[in-house]
Amino acid sequence: MKFAKLIFKNILRNKRRTLLTISSLVVSLFLIICLATILTEFDRGTNEASPLRLVARHSVSLTFPLPMAHLQKIKSVPGVKDAMPFSWFGGIYKDEKNFFANFAVDAGKLKGIMNELKMSDAEWQAFTSDKQGAIVGKKLVMLYGFTPGQRITLKSPIYNADVEFIIRGVYSGSDEKTLYFHHEYLNDLLPEGRKDMSGMFTILANTPEDVPRVAQAFDSMTINTDAPTKTESEREFALSFQTMMGGMKTFLYAIMAAITFSLLLVMGNTMAMTVRERTKEVGTLKAIGFQRGTITALFLGESLIVACIGAAIGVAGAALLFRSFDLSLYIPNFISFVPTNETLAIAFGLAILVGFVSVVYSAYRVSGLTIAEALRSTE
Amino acid sequence: MALPLKYNIRNIIVRKGSTLSTAFTIGLTVAVFLMVMALARGIDMTLSSSGEPLNMIVLREGSTAELNSSLSRENFNDLMFLDGVEREADKPLASGELVTLIYKARKGMTQGSNVNVRGVGPNSFKLRTGFQTVAGRLFQPGLTEAVVSKRIAERFQGLDIGDKFRIQTTDYTVVGLFDSAGKAFESEIWVDINSLASTTKRDGYSSVLMRVKDSNALTALSKRITDDPKLHLKAVSERTFYEDQQGTASGALKGLAVFISFIMAVGAGFAGMNTMYAAVARRTKEIGTLRVLGFSRLSILVAFLLESIAIAVIGAVIGIIIALPLNFVSTGTSNWVTFSEIAFNFKVTFDLMLFALIFGGVIGFVGSLLPSIRASRFKIVDALRA
Repeated sequence: MKFAKLIFKNILRNKRRTLLTISSLVVSLFLIICLATILTEFDRGTNEASPLRLVARHSVSLTFPLPMAHLQKIKSVPGVKDAMPFSWFGGIYKDEKNFFANFAVDAGKLKGIMNELKMSDAEWQAFTSDKQGAIVGKKLVMLYGFTPGQRITLKSPIYNADVEFIIRGVYSGSDEKTLYFHHEYLNDLLPEGRKDMSGMFTILANTPEDVPRVAQAFDSMTINTDAPTKTESEREFALSFQTMMGGMKTFLYAIMAAITFSLLLVMGNTMAMTVRERTKEVGTLKAIGFQRGTITALFLGESLIVACIGAAIGVAGAALLFRSFDLSLYIPNFISFVPTNETLAIAFGLAILVGFVSVVYSAYRVSGLTIAEALRSTE
Repeated sequence: MALPLKYNIRNIIVRKGSTLSTAFTIGLTVAVFLMVMALARGIDMTLSSSGEPLNMIVLREGSTAELNSSLSRENFNDLMFLDGVEREADKPLASGELVTLIYKARKGMTQGSNVNVRGVGPNSFKLRTGFQTVAGRLFQPGLTEAVVSKRIAERFQGLDIGDKFRIQTTDYTVVGLFDSAGKAFESEIWVDINSLASTTKRDGYSSVLMRVKDSNALTALSKRITDDPKLHLKAVSERTFYEDQQGTASGALKGLAVFISFIMAVGAGFAGMNTMYAAVARRTKEIGTLRVLGFSRLSILVAFLLESIAIAVIGAVIGIIIALPLNFVSTGTSNWVTFSEIAFNFKVTFDLMLFALIFGGVIGFVGSLLPSIRASRFKIVDALRA
């Protein structure tokens, strides 16, 4: 610690270089944090899936609807607490650019089955008692200024229908960019032949242990019907959507690795220059009795402090920026865009590691020179 | 008087460690840019090459994809006898097709993605170029047989020759594999339209594809169909139909490429600045000497800028070399317009590489501008005394 002052003097000796190195660190860390946050969003569906819920769909693909009659079969399966229809409406609000998810559900059962949706009792009451009613997430209100009582029309290419809804509530929690409305209301509007169908069923099990049993039992009940099902835990279902994206995750990891490697090159190059320029000084230090270990430690300390400052600014900057400004509003399908504490900690650790690795070789090499060699240096 | 290039080249060689690490930093930036853009370009090229110039596709009014479109048999009969539709042996070149999706697990995974199944008739093959069976044989009309794109068979479980897959309650047997010169159909499974219609209990079509006589007929016909208030259909050129999917499929990737490479470039620029400032500092005396010899401030400035740009371009070349093998990588993701898998190759195209070189050069230029100006401003006396 008695050399702290010396280390700081050295850091400040070439202020411009230190500043540039820190800036380079800050932007790289910011980028890594952004990409890691995108990865967090990819995984959110599986990480936050309810351990009690299952999703049943047609075994061929989601595009084939299931008959509502299946609902009675589900309810007869032991371990099932409740179940409701769940249909992707695909409605577009005014313009295709305004993408948000909208589902037809059993309004009376939504609160019990998806208990992460939080809304006042009055709003639940208003929603369930109005067949034309719909509820929207808080972020949709921020984006489109929806207000309770407002009438909005969604145009669905899938159902080939323009449907008008009345906003009856604003919920918070989970995915706040979704609209839910009455399945019955949709059903009434559909022509004969398309009625009494649901895209999916959401099932609530009594206990997490019941989940695999329920899936198996229900699928074996429907296997010989016109509409065989594939029932999975909500987690598995979310995973299937993630898998649809293909190799995107691997791709993002590859990019993050490239950024880290380039950061290592930047820091390594800067520290190598710094160390080399001070070769003569190392000779002097050695001449007055400094040990190799101490000299290495001086360089190491310098690099680590620079890395720490860069890491602190990068991490704090990204955290502050994304916590005060929610980017997810503008990215379709993103529920939030806030770096997790884990991401921030890893980014910080990564910077320290880079600070360490980038100096260790050159410091060790220079401090190993003899006094005569070091003093003779022309750098 | 300009400094000889040899001066720069020797300097680059003398500082090879520093040069290489700076070049690599820029190279990685360029490589990441190319990686993401090559992915977007792969999707775009697959989609843009898929439409034939004189083909027109008709969908239900308001539908965004074949999947949520439907046309009746009467619609099809009306359409194919319209003026302007090309004929072959006195029969209109038109094909009513049916599209559905099946969910298949990816190879080596428990989960997967949707694959487009297209019910086709004899005209479907005449309307598209590049289709060829590469293994096995074509399905027989009337039977529940299927030909699968080779790329799809490679990416998903249970779609090889001899395998069976299920649509509704009917099993289809894979009897052949095909490819189609990198077009979007290369992400599909083709079966006989009549079999698929009876399997899915659908009477009618998802879309109608037809060949028109010339480009004027295409414009006129598509307007006529779309504007007819009784039909409730929309007709667009097949090319437009596929190109319109590009935005949704690759737009986000392009945004990501710009965002990532811009930030990486800023980081690399800072690093380049550090290297060049160090180079200038080390060569202060040398610069003084050059000035004494009569080289102007401008030639010093240009020399340092050139040196940095050269390093950056070397870096960009390294980046291109890193990214080039991607051309041999085939991948796939979901096309959210069709809600199904689109298989394609990364495309590191010539224009992308050229852009990468310029991009690298710009990083080198911007990064070295301040240090070079500094070098050119040294007073001769001070520089020599340094």
